[in-house]
Amino acid sequence: MFRVAIAGAGGMAHMHASCYTANPNACVVGVYDKRPDAAAEMAGANGATAYAGFAEMLEAARPDVVDVCVPTPWHVDYVVAAAEAGLKGVVVEKPMGRSVEDCERMAAACAASGTPLFVAHVLRFFPEFAEAKRQVDAGAVGTVVTVRTRRGGSFPRAWENWYGKPDWSGGVILDLVIHDLDWLRWTFGDVERVFAKGISPKLPPDSEVNSDYALITLKFKSGVIGHVEATWADPGGFKVGFEIAGDAGLLESNFNQPAGVPFVAALQRGAEAGAAVAVPESPTAVNPYYAELDHFLTCLASGATPSITPKDGCEAVRIALAAFESAQTGEPVVLP
Amino acid sequence: MTVKIGILSVAHMHAYSYASAVNALPDTELLGIADHDQARAESAAKTFATRAFGSYEELLAAGVDAVIVGSENVRHRPLTEMAAAAGKHILCEKPLATSVADGRAMLAACKTAGVQLMTAFPCRFSPAMVRLKSAVDNGDIGKVIAIRGTNRGRCPFDWFTKLDQSGGGAVIDHTVHVTDLMRWLLKAEVTEVYAEISSRMFQQEFDDTGFLTLEFDNGVFATLDSSWSRPKSFPTWGDVTLSVVGEKGVLTLDMFSQNLVLYSDKTGGVSWSPWGSNIDELMIAAFAKAVASGSPLPITGEDGLAAAAVSFAAYASAKAGKPVAPEVVL
Repeated sequence: MFRVAIAGAGGMAHMHASCYTANPNACVVGVYDKRPDAAAEMAGANGATAYAGFAEMLEAARPDVVDVCVPTPWHVDYVVAAAEAGLKGVVVEKPMGRSVEDCERMAAACAASGTPLFVAHVLRFFPEFAEAKRQVDAGAVGTVVTVRTRRGGSFPRAWENWYGKPDWSGGVILDLVIHDLDWLRWTFGDVERVFAKGISPKLPPDSEVNSDYALITLKFKSGVIGHVEATWADPGGFKVGFEIAGDAGLLESNFNQPAGVPFVAALQRGAEAGAAVAVPESPTAVNPYYAELDHFLTCLASGATPSITPKDGCEAVRIALAAFESAQTGEPVVLP
Repeated sequence: MTVKIGILSVAHMHAYSYASAVNALPDTELLGIADHDQARAESAAKTFATRAFGSYEELLAAGVDAVIVGSENVRHRPLTEMAAAAGKHILCEKPLATSVADGRAMLAACKTAGVQLMTAFPCRFSPAMVRLKSAVDNGDIGKVIAIRGTNRGRCPFDWFTKLDQSGGGAVIDHTVHVTDLMRWLLKAEVTEVYAEISSRMFQQEFDDTGFLTLEFDNGVFATLDSSWSRPKSFPTWGDVTLSVVGEKGVLTLDMFSQNLVLYSDKTGGVSWSPWGSNIDELMIAAFAKAVASGSPLPITGEDGLAAAAVSFAAYASAKAGKPVAPEVVL
């Protein structure tokens, strides 16, 4: 039985907590959040104790695993502290960190203490994305030439509007499509160069936005050309889809279906409600968030290496920040 | 009045659709077809119950009011110059030209001759596109911020993949339609093009894949997938899509999504059977109406050249590995 303590009590922390609670091999023992009410509510829902401080929680709750679900810029603080506490494992929500340096610090701290670190790139556990990789690997479309993804919906409202502060969240490029960037890298290999346009990268660093949009073009080392659409500007509901075109076929999910509706207007209707990030649901027997966390716990129990490494988390951030930089400078960015 | 139309070459498959539209419309007459490939002219003339002429000159002298140029891309210039010299209004297939110099020569020839030149951009006549434009013009989504566009298709092969006749592969073939829609929608010109282009789909000398990023002079940014990336087994020829992102909402267009889905044991596959409006016919009707009334044609040669110049800039960008400004053509 893994005793899990969670830093943060926002939308994703709730999702993770419910997955641990449902898992027969785990239980949530502690919840820490700067907001005592939020921590108490989430702790109560999961039979855990709410703590007023992170160090106090590590001390008192005696967790085996710490799961870091605080806003991105603070991942590094909690992950490094957890690494130094000598736990059995650490989970960090995507994106791994706000900078490549932060990611490298987290990886180094966990390596130094021998603590397995798992970056929660849940997309790899979404069945359609996992199946697409299997199909690509099996040659279903032949040699892949192009890949396109799209993701997003309306703007997510959260604590301190932190998603709306590009300084904190990195906007849609870092926070939202890091999912696709990791899946793309997992499926099609390393990226050679990136070119992007977007709203938030063009704004002063301390800006606050209530929508964001970006279009990213990726050239992979394999020659594959990719396109990633990222939106927090679409009131028409959360949409996820992709298509992979090869020299022997086309594989798609929610991308080219003939709806018989050639024109759709999705218009904002005043201030949009909603307290958290829209989390896509895919009604399958196993919740993908459950699957990703169970995978990590299973690896911890057996000593196996988790399928997502700290390097994976770091590289996805590197690609996203290269896209952010390209959108700032107007020039393509070549990756090392 | 009935507008008598001649078709100068049916090398492009769209010419067949235009011929069919000319026959279907009440106020147009297909006077005849000429082609440098005489057998092709005769075969098409038979299909459309019209006369095959032995030369372009004979057709131009036979009393046509206007012509449609449906040749290979590199012949657009000589055929347009010939028709202009004969005093005929011209509807020219896209891309208007394979170089800025050729395009400028075509515009000059038409201006000198006092005839009008229209570029065949039927997508402007799509009822869904018209609806989208009216929503943008009406301010429904506020200021436009960005556009995500696609125009993919199956590879047409034939002369389309012979660079000395086409001037380029997928990028010249599929950049111009959606670029034109964006220019029309935004009333803005492209100032910068970045492109990733590859030939990995067919591993031949022609480009088959193009992902373009465009910047407009009003600050809007856009991307456009102009690839021949639909496999033979795809249920339809391809697509034209736009997602127009504004301050107050998003408008999406999937121009050819009005289809029945047919699962056929006769063909052993799935195909889409379109039931949407015939945009080629709407375009030919607008062309003929303007010719008949002597009013300005709804789309100009300048529009065609501006869109083609974006495709030329895309090739230059891919070669240089950085953003490139398209040549200013207007």
